[in-house]
Amino acid sequence: MKDEEDDVSRRVFVQHLTFLGGGVVLLGGCKEEPKPAPPPAVKPAALTSSHKTFTNDEWATLTAAVDRVLPRDEDPGALDANVPEYIDAMLQTEQLQQMKAQFVPGVAALERRAQKMFKTTFAAATPAQQDELLTLFKNSPEKSGEARWYEMLIVLVMEGFLGDPSYGGNKGEVGWKLVGFSLVGRNLKGDPKSPYDGSKRLHQLVCGGGKGC
Amino acid sequence: MAKESVDVCIIGSGAGGAPLALELGRAGFKVVVLEKGAWYQQTDFVHDEILNSRRNFFMPLPWDEPHLWRTEGQPYTRTNEAWTANCVGGGTVHMSGFFYRLKPVDFRMKSELGAPKGSNVVDWPITYKDLEPYYDKAEAELGVSGNAVPHPFLEPRKGNYPLPPLAEHPVAAEIDKAAKSLGWHSIPTARAIVSQPYRGRDPCVYCSLCGSYGCEHGAKSSTAASLIPAAIATGKVELRPKCMAKEITVDAKGLAKSVIYLDADGVEQEQPARVIVASCTAVESARLLLNSKSSRFPNGLANDNGLVGKNLLFSSFGQSKATFSVKKRGEELPWLNANLPFVNRSLQDFYVLPDERFGFRKGGTLGFMWAHPNPIFAAVGLARKGEKGVFGKELKDKLRTYRDSRILEFEIYGEFLSNDLTYVSVDGGVKDKFGLPVAAISIKRHELDLKMTQFLVERGEEVLQAMKPDRVDRVGTAGETTILQGGTCRFGKDPKTSVLDVDCRSHVVKNLYVVDGSFLPTSGGVPLTLTIAANSFRVADRMVASLKKGG
Repeated sequence: MKDEEDDVSRRVFVQHLTFLGGGVVLLGGCKEEPKPAPPPAVKPAALTSSHKTFTNDEWATLTAAVDRVLPRDEDPGALDANVPEYIDAMLQTEQLQQMKAQFVPGVAALERRAQKMFKTTFAAATPAQQDELLTLFKNSPEKSGEARWYEMLIVLVMEGFLGDPSYGGNKGEVGWKLVGFSLVGRNLKGDPKSPYDGSKRLHQLVCGGGKGC
Repeated sequence: MAKESVDVCIIGSGAGGAPLALELGRAGFKVVVLEKGAWYQQTDFVHDEILNSRRNFFMPLPWDEPHLWRTEGQPYTRTNEAWTANCVGGGTVHMSGFFYRLKPVDFRMKSELGAPKGSNVVDWPITYKDLEPYYDKAEAELGVSGNAVPHPFLEPRKGNYPLPPLAEHPVAAEIDKAAKSLGWHSIPTARAIVSQPYRGRDPCVYCSLCGSYGCEHGAKSSTAASLIPAAIATGKVELRPKCMAKEITVDAKGLAKSVIYLDADGVEQEQPARVIVASCTAVESARLLLNSKSSRFPNGLANDNGLVGKNLLFSSFGQSKATFSVKKRGEELPWLNANLPFVNRSLQDFYVLPDERFGFRKGGTLGFMWAHPNPIFAAVGLARKGEKGVFGKELKDKLRTYRDSRILEFEIYGEFLSNDLTYVSVDGGVKDKFGLPVAAISIKRHELDLKMTQFLVERGEEVLQAMKPDRVDRVGTAGETTILQGGTCRFGKDPKTSVLDVDCRSHVVKNLYVVDGSFLPTSGGVPLTLTIAANSFRVADRMVASLKKGG
């Protein structure tokens, strides 16, 4: 059912709605059985890439797109916060294998579209052209691959901009400063000699219990 | 090989399971608690939004352990909705701890307000008076801070809360003024958070990340911080985390015999017990019973009348938010500059609606609070999507406006009318990672719920407007809060129309109990956690008496 103001109708608890991006990862699995998450594999392209998830070409496209979502102005932007690095690393985690399978081809789709429309790569297109294409993805029909990819992009950018710095984004807490979250911040208890590592905790959620992975 | 038999095996360690474990342990009975989630310690609770709120720290991954969800006439979709935290303490770990009691009218809704067409409203088999001493007990055992003040819908109570109220942001006084100007009563919201040292627990440090998070100080009165340690200290209670119950077996007489479960290593185990208690949430307890099929119970355990899973309840949800620019109005409204996390104000003037305008008068509660500080959640909400979505400079401007604002919101805890098309089954054809059929939730909202919620939202917006914010935005009026759940094993006197008897014991399987929200015949107009805990203390008294008699 729909509400007047938003397409948000069921409120479970405050962030439950946005778990892994508001059901984005579920959309692919509604009709058919989602396949079990494949083990993180080294893809062939990685051999020639300096990144964990993306090829160098994909990286260029992604970086340009991320920059348009939160560009630097009088305040730092997504690239200042190392958002592409965050996305590259986060898509390696066990929890996001399904998202990775949908997100990475979306980057290629964006690139193909740029070359068709502008006869140049997305990264080399003008900011106005890049915005035009991102808007086209954003405004695509709700369940289309383009619209889903845009939703995932926003979610990943925001996580990388405003998440705990231990995941590699939010460098220097620039994202938290922009939204005034520094009041709360990390406030982590525990051993100051062993700094908090969110990625390690994520891994333990899947591989804890002595089962190993 | 089966493990050694115990007196009572309780499945689930949340608001329902923990009180019972504690009381049985105190009475000297040997108890095993099986909990499907991990046993987090306070040091595991960190202010990491990604870990805590956006991955499987509390909620299972939707492809590992989905729920199926369908609204009337639609196909099922997979979701992680209607899970509460999968960990020791269950939903009490990530709750906000808004602890309200039900009102006497909730127990006699059909008699006092009638049963609307298309609903399955019934009176409870007990009254508020029966539960009142157990509310006192639950508030004391868990640790509740608050201040009971007179208002038209104040429930009868013997005394004030065990702990004084938490420090409030000065906005609370502004809400009081606004409500008073409208002729209503702004009342303090009691919280399951200790405001002072209590029974060896440290008090709240006002960190701001409370609801949706575990408390690293143990100040939030989750069962993991309060009842569970006390239960373990009796020396009679063993808690086994990461143990997923698959099935409750029955013996030749049709009595519950044992719980088959998968342990932390995925190895199947069998725990026999004299008494078996399900307390896995209304959705998951129904699923467990429905999945426990035998030749005696081919349609699921204790389901002779087909009512297990039926009359599922959530809480009707609506919400609006008021934005105040601190930058522009900080001098005009000096209270905006204060930094305290708790608003702790409620309105219950519309617990029963003032007239018959909708043909049914049950309403609910409005709870006022600051918008949750989780920044990723806020930012994704500001970015939106589709035609309304923004990015680039426009999005950054929105983030800066957000930084320079305070957002006061209210949410509705409204009656949710049970009906024939709102239920849990296991027939969706999907299994979880354990190979068990998952809970399939079908839902149809009663139109009176939606009218009532809209009415409450409009009243809440009047309060917000009276405080002269920069803007008021309506989030919605037609939602349901699925972490607040009940029904599915309704209790009652008649075995034909209820699953459980007055003691929350199965009418047909005399050593099987259900003590989470499943027993609830109606949802009430408040969050249900305190009521679930109080009822479990009530059931504990009855069960101890029965066990002592050898029953």
